[in-house]
Amino acid sequence: MFEDRPDLVDRIVSHLRRPVQIDAALDGRVMQEIAQVDTGRRPGAAVAAWRWLIRPRPFAVSPLGALAMAAGLAAVVWALPGRGARAVPPAADAPREFQFVVVAPRATRVALVGDFNDWDATRTPMRASQRGGSVWTAVLPLAPGRYRYGFLVDGSRWLADPAAPHVRDDEFGAPSSVVTVGGS
Amino acid sequence: MKTSPLPRSPKSLVAAGALAAVLVATAAAQDSQDSQHSKDPRLARLDPAARSLVVVVIDSARTAGLPTEPLVQRALEGATKGAPGTLIGNAVRRLAADLGRARAALGAGATPPELEAGAAALRAGAGPAVLAQLRRSPRQTITVPLAVLTDLVASGVPVDSAAAAVLALAASSGDADLIDFRRAVERDIALGAAPTAATAGAAAGFLAAGADAVHVNAGARDARPGRP
Repeated sequence: MFEDRPDLVDRIVSHLRRPVQIDAALDGRVMQEIAQVDTGRRPGAAVAAWRWLIRPRPFAVSPLGALAMAAGLAAVVWALPGRGARAVPPAADAPREFQFVVVAPRATRVALVGDFNDWDATRTPMRASQRGGSVWTAVLPLAPGRYRYGFLVDGSRWLADPAAPHVRDDEFGAPSSVVTVGGS
Repeated sequence: MKTSPLPRSPKSLVAAGALAAVLVATAAAQDSQDSQHSKDPRLARLDPAARSLVVVVIDSARTAGLPTEPLVQRALEGATKGAPGTLIGNAVRRLAADLGRARAALGAGATPPELEAGAAALRAGAGPAVLAQLRRSPRQTITVPLAVLTDLVASGVPVDSAAAAVLALAASSGDADLIDFRRAVERDIALGAAPTAATAGAAAGFLAAGADAVHVNAGARDARPGRP
């Protein structure tokens, strides 16, 4: 076809014989393209997830958004156990609950009276046990100190607490007991 | 006869009126304050004769700087128990005297609960020297040691034995441990031990107990309501 134009053939041959300059990153690009060629074999979900996780992405945030995130982080750190509001031990003079119990068979009402309620029989009525009825209880918060008290049965009969020290200097002819509440 | 003229200027009249108003208001306020102090509404439960006796004692105690609430409570106790007025008056007067003795032994810085517990300890038979010794123990308050001392004496423990035990324990034990000590002594007495032996045995046990054991017991106590 080109027998009659040998000069053209020479030019083409010389052009083809010239060294070609190849991009140095070509190998990398080629290998990346090869890796992305669908070979029909799907990677596992874990591999896909891992790839998704480690693939770098551009990230941008506004100054206001950055401030909001910093505030949220500070709030989380402050709320960690051991930081911020701590469990405060009760103060030495904080009231403690005391349970008073007395056995009073055949009683229709029992009142706990003492220094802690102005010896007022209406202020601290005791509750009868749900099972029997002869066991009467009352729970009262008491600040540290020493209190005299007694049980008034049916409005007329006085009982001292058999489980507590009795008052030695009873001056009114009716027994009283003593409860001591510690602060430490 | 010549009389001195009264001030006629409006300024003088206004000043004199204001001065009179201030004097009247001050007197009324003072009267009201005194009335409130000496007439605690709770004392209305006492019969008039008892009330007048008690009010005098309470006013004197207040003037002396003694706590008055224990006196009010003692009077109310007598009233609720239906005691005669003279008995109530005597009881309140005796308590006021004990509070004064307690303050003399414990010092002017004693708190009202300390004075009340000190008065009970003195009444039980403890000497002022014991109270003064307890005052010197390194504790924030000595209300509980005084109360435990009183309760031990009431249980039949001789004053000297009770005081020695409480003084030994007060330096190193907390309130809860002192109360447990008292319970241990009372339990041993109820089981038949001699009061002195029960006190010595319990004190030795508490003094020998390690700090860890005391801490564990205190934690168990906190988990439920206390008992007298």
